[in-house]
Amino acid sequence: MKVLVVDDFSTMRRIIKNLLRDLGFTNISEADDGSTALPMLKEGDFDFVVTDWNMPGMQGIDLLKAIRADSKLSHIPVLMVTAEAKKEQIVMAAQAGVNGYIVKPFTAATLNTKLDKIFERLG
Amino acid sequence: MSTNTSVHVSLEQAKLLVEYIETDQQDKADELIAEIQSPINTALFAEIGKLTRQLHDSLNNFHLDSRLNDLATADIPDAKERLNFVISRTEEAANKTMDAVETIFPVVDSIQQQISTVKPLWHKLMHNDLDIGEFKELCRDIDILLKTTEKETNKIHGLMTDVLMAQDFQDLTGQVIRKVIDLVREVEESLINMLTAFGMTADSEREKSAPKVGENLVEGPIVNAEERDDVVEDQDDVDDLLSSLGF
Repeated sequence: MKVLVVDDFSTMRRIIKNLLRDLGFTNISEADDGSTALPMLKEGDFDFVVTDWNMPGMQGIDLLKAIRADSKLSHIPVLMVTAEAKKEQIVMAAQAGVNGYIVKPFTAATLNTKLDKIFERLG
Repeated sequence: MSTNTSVHVSLEQAKLLVEYIETDQQDKADELIAEIQSPINTALFAEIGKLTRQLHDSLNNFHLDSRLNDLATADIPDAKERLNFVISRTEEAANKTMDAVETIFPVVDSIQQQISTVKPLWHKLMHNDLDIGEFKELCRDIDILLKTTEKETNKIHGLMTDVLMAQDFQDLTGQVIRKVIDLVREVEESLINMLTAFGMTADSEREKSAPKVGENLVEGPIVNAEERDDVVEDQDDVDDLLSSLGF
């Protein structure tokens, strides 16, 4: 399974990458913004995206919408991991088709649970 | 000529004015008008004079307050540098910590692996089911296990110390941030003083406006979740919100 981790802070990308590796994901790529992530996705056969919301170029919510709008990418499950905690944002993400929403700070257990849920739902 | 502004024109003056105009004495009429207006004008000029003085003083104070100048040209750029310092120190600390942790993971894995290698034969020993050849093998494996564990635990100890030391960023960044808070406080006071000087004090009638983030939805980490009702406090809240809406 090819995973793309998108966050403008390299430390956060590193943490998520480590946690994913621990859970058995070995093929992990990184992008530092929605605007760099989208071309990577269009190019490359990704099976799963983990993204932050607040990024300077293209925000996570817009990346999500772009993924859902592209027929070649719309099937990809998207998990948001973000510090954005306003209720209207959570609802917005859900309505835009996010598969899971994790607020920072989060635990490895939470990530694990949400991933299980996402892949379980997809069969 | 009195400067009493409550009486603007008397009946006498009005009658006199009409007489002057009827007898075509325009100059005298104009003079009388000027006389009538004079106290009003005097009072008006006095007011304007007072306001001009106030404005002049305020502008002078503004100008003379080199503190404001310092704030703008030196302290605020300094504050930006300080905050950038905080970002880089915390990034450094996070990376140092993760370096140590990433090094520890395989070390721990290798110990676990050694133990699994030893376990089958050990199990047999515990059940008195070991022949002499296997016993010798077990002894060798345990020897390796002990030596490995000794080495690796020393390594882990060193790495844990690195993690501990990497936390020093908190103290340094804390001090730097405190300085920036002081600066913000000073700017806040200066702004309030300015507003007060120009007569725009914060009335109690006016609502205290909440910090605006423009029309922007994005706020970053919420620092005062308890005081707000439009945010969630933890992952459980998120999950509850989503399931209550059918997601």
